[in-house]
Amino acid sequence: MGETLKGRAWVFSDDVDTDLIYHNKYLAETDPRKMPQYSFEYYPGKENFAKEIKPGDFVVAGKNFGCGSSREHAVYCLKEAGVPVILAETCSRIYYRNAVNNGYPVLFVKGLSDAIKAGKIKDGDSLEVELANGSIKDVTSGETFRGDAVSDLERDIMAAGGLIPYLKSKKKAGERDG
Amino acid sequence: MGKTFAEKALGRAAGHPVSANEVVTVEPDFCVSHDNTGPISRTFKKIGVKRVWKPERLVVILDHGVPAPSSEHAVNHKEAREFMKEQSAPHFYDVSSESGVCHQKFPEDGFALPGQIVIGSDSHTCTYGAFGTFATGIGRTEMAAAWATGGIWLKVPESVKITATGALKPGVSAKDFILKVIGDVKSDGADYMSVEFHGDGIENMSVSERMTLCNMGIEMGAKNAVCEPDRKVLDFINGKEKSSDWEILWADPDAAYARELKYDLGGIVPGVAKPHTVDNYAPIGEVKGRKIDQVFIGTCTNGRLDDLRAAAAILKGRRVAVRTIVIPASWNIYRGAMRDGTLDTLLDAGCIVCNPGCGPCLGAHMGALAPGEVCVSAANRNFKGRMGDKESFIYLASPRTTAASALTGAITDPREA
Amino acid sequence: MGKTMVMKIMERAAHKEVHAGERVWCDIDRSTARDFGGANCALQFDEITENRGRVWNPDKIAFTFDLQAPSHSEKVANNQKIIREFAKRQGITRVYDINHGIGQHVMLEDGIVKPGDVILGTDSHMNLLGAVAAFATGVGNTDIAASWLNGTNWFRVPETMKIEINGEFPRGVSMRDLLTKIVGDLGAGGLDFLAAEFCGDAIERSTLAERITLCSMVTEMSGKIGLILPNGPVLEWLADRAGGEVRERVAAIKPDDDAPYISVLKYDVSKLEPMASCPDAPDNVKPVREIAGVKIDQVHIGSCTNGRYEDIAAAYDVLERGGFRTAPGVRVIITPATTEVMKRCAREGMIEKFLDAGIVFTNPTCSLCTAEHYGALPGGDVGCSTTNRNFIGKVGKGSHTYLLSPMTAMATAVRGVITDPREIVCK
Repeated sequence: MGETLKGRAWVFSDDVDTDLIYHNKYLAETDPRKMPQYSFEYYPGKENFAKEIKPGDFVVAGKNFGCGSSREHAVYCLKEAGVPVILAETCSRIYYRNAVNNGYPVLFVKGLSDAIKAGKIKDGDSLEVELANGSIKDVTSGETFRGDAVSDLERDIMAAGGLIPYLKSKKKAGERDG
Repeated sequence: MGKTFAEKALGRAAGHPVSANEVVTVEPDFCVSHDNTGPISRTFKKIGVKRVWKPERLVVILDHGVPAPSSEHAVNHKEAREFMKEQSAPHFYDVSSESGVCHQKFPEDGFALPGQIVIGSDSHTCTYGAFGTFATGIGRTEMAAAWATGGIWLKVPESVKITATGALKPGVSAKDFILKVIGDVKSDGADYMSVEFHGDGIENMSVSERMTLCNMGIEMGAKNAVCEPDRKVLDFINGKEKSSDWEILWADPDAAYARELKYDLGGIVPGVAKPHTVDNYAPIGEVKGRKIDQVFIGTCTNGRLDDLRAAAAILKGRRVAVRTIVIPASWNIYRGAMRDGTLDTLLDAGCIVCNPGCGPCLGAHMGALAPGEVCVSAANRNFKGRMGDKESFIYLASPRTTAASALTGAITDPREA
Repeated sequence: MGKTMVMKIMERAAHKEVHAGERVWCDIDRSTARDFGGANCALQFDEITENRGRVWNPDKIAFTFDLQAPSHSEKVANNQKIIREFAKRQGITRVYDINHGIGQHVMLEDGIVKPGDVILGTDSHMNLLGAVAAFATGVGNTDIAASWLNGTNWFRVPETMKIEINGEFPRGVSMRDLLTKIVGDLGAGGLDFLAAEFCGDAIERSTLAERITLCSMVTEMSGKIGLILPNGPVLEWLADRAGGEVRERVAAIKPDDDAPYISVLKYDVSKLEPMASCPDAPDNVKPVREIAGVKIDQVHIGSCTNGRYEDIAAAYDVLERGGFRTAPGVRVIITPATTEVMKRCAREGMIEKFLDAGIVFTNPTCSLCTAEHYGALPGGDVGCSTTNRNFIGKVGKGSHTYLLSPMTAMATAVRGVITDPREIVCK
């Protein structure tokens, strides 16, 4: 039994690219704490995301979330804004790595893309998410979803808080990586 | 009592003889603007006038950020593009290989003509004095008003006479001379005044070298700066004149000057303007060995073919030790450098050759500086933060000195390179 | 059961047998970063090692400056400075500063990429190095900083899709068109987490530039890597640059005949026509003839996808047949991938002809591929480009971009409207 996270949904389409999440205009920024202000600035209809996001709100997306660039900014800007987890049907490879490496959870949710298109989960809906077992409830619409478990390695990295703490803990324990 | 150049040029434009300190209203022969055309056009529209008084007298040359380095620049460009179209103004230089830095392109295409009045919404408009033009920089609001009314009021300036005799020694450039002059008279030494360059030392200079001198006139506060137009100028403009209403004007030998200075060019040594003012002059010996991070050769001051050739002569067959950005002042110059092998020499030496434009001169792109970085630049200003971070440092120097410094990674006397 | 190319590469790097779907730790042959992301890597490395850490092997690290070279703001300048200073402190000598060009291309030209290498970089198009059968992948700064600690990183061994390409390209049609077609067929997520192996007679005959084009766009299908086994002139070129060892490497990673592929796709390019990615997604694909006539404000030729000499030469050919003129009112920008490419274009007299046609020729860099560099678009403008992404607003809010081949891009520059290049080259 894990903790239940509660927050509002911010709903996005399929194939949300990294320029929509964090535009290349702001790539020179190196301080993750300054990145949330630019989140979704270029996403039509979500220009106010950065202003209106409340810690605890969820990002809900369809397939291939975070496609495009390797910029880790696109993970930092949501993590630092207080989005506790990204719920997406699928996530691009690099984006997923970047999230895992930062100990930032992404739940892969089957059927989410169609549910978004069918309006079964909408902007502003109240969600309850249990990270431990991947259960997701849209309190507003009554719909429920289930997020997939990740592989052992990713779980270990996440549990350590990210790749760097993971590597450090292994080093301390005298283990060789791999 | 004779007349100065300014009195003659403004008298000709006013239609009656004038003397220093009188205020006259004149019609400009050409008005030049660059990327700031968009904001000017907005002010122009607020005045309530629909048409520019004479659209064929507008010359708009995009150069500050080309190709657009940000969406803000792109939007400004678009505004300029649309305004020129809407006004059916024919002289628009968009982002293309027909363009260049406005103060280079304007003369190249025959807009800078002896005896004419040119106003520009850029302080280095004074460059055209090398062609015997009375050319002065003004603000955006004033430019909008000039477009609307076709008139501009000007106080007839008093004049400073700078006489240069003799010839520069090998390794010494016109830039070294003008940096020395500015160091002597200081940045306000010619405030509101017209600077006239006289003497056989000037006569022996190329048009390009004279452009370097006049370009820097604003750095001593001058309203305009001018050299006597001679055969070299006539050859330069021959066949390209964009107006037939021009005449060679020059000061009378007995004209009255507020100040007179005399220089023997043979005594000029390579020099620099140290951070953070253009009048902070030092002969090269005082700053030699100072570590640098970047070298920049280009701009309306020193981005011409003779400048690039002077740099290439020093760099030929060697490799630069620091990043060296070369930006020809126009595409004609770029072509010339390609044809005569200068470009190849520069690339082989490890320089980065960018497309013509103002580049990093005002920190917009193409080589902005990081905190603590030091740049030796052939441009015209070294104000704090001009090329990027406010904690960066700019030394102004000749293309020769910049090239010699590029080889060593420290400020270097070109006579030793 | 045999092994795919990517499995063989990973087995070499992991020192053990690998299976598709498992996570393995691989030794890294080269861990690289650019002026984008590089500063983040350096700062992060210093932070996690409390400023006392030494990178595992300075010879295996390289920095490239291409995203905004030269820097367009003090912030970018500072990031570049952070990298230079870090490199100096750590004894990293491979710093390809702003006078070089696009990172992957520069490293290829400099001979530090070999078939079978495992390479990391802060560039999602790092995987174009699959063009010489290196396993290169774009990652974030945490992955890079972590790899600098001990020279390893974790990967999921991908399944492989085999894409067999045969036939001769008709005149006016190029590898870019094939690629655009594949992206349209498979979609933005079509190669999610997968590797692709490109083979077939069209691939065997292809130039390095064509292979780079093909492999660079695997990213736009969310693929991990597209691999091509070097052969013929490409192998000779590579051996010349990177040393004779590449021949043994190629032999060692050749996929087995009975290697497992999750699917096999076949394309015959002899029936292909010019293709375009329409606004605002790479997988919004149509034949050029269906969008012919769309008015264009700016044309850009360059990028890691289509910025090599052969790409620029193909555009030159169209310009020549078009009478060395571009349409009034269209801004045309060409950006070579590297200084080596730029020098060749200059020596062959191409640049001068481009200039005569009104075209702006820039220094080698990523150029328009980032919004804050050469050729940003104002709202309402329509551009076309040989870059690899046309996401909404990428090069300026309210602008739209068509992705085209160098030939189609130049045909469009000549006419001012989107034009099928066959109308010009097949006359």
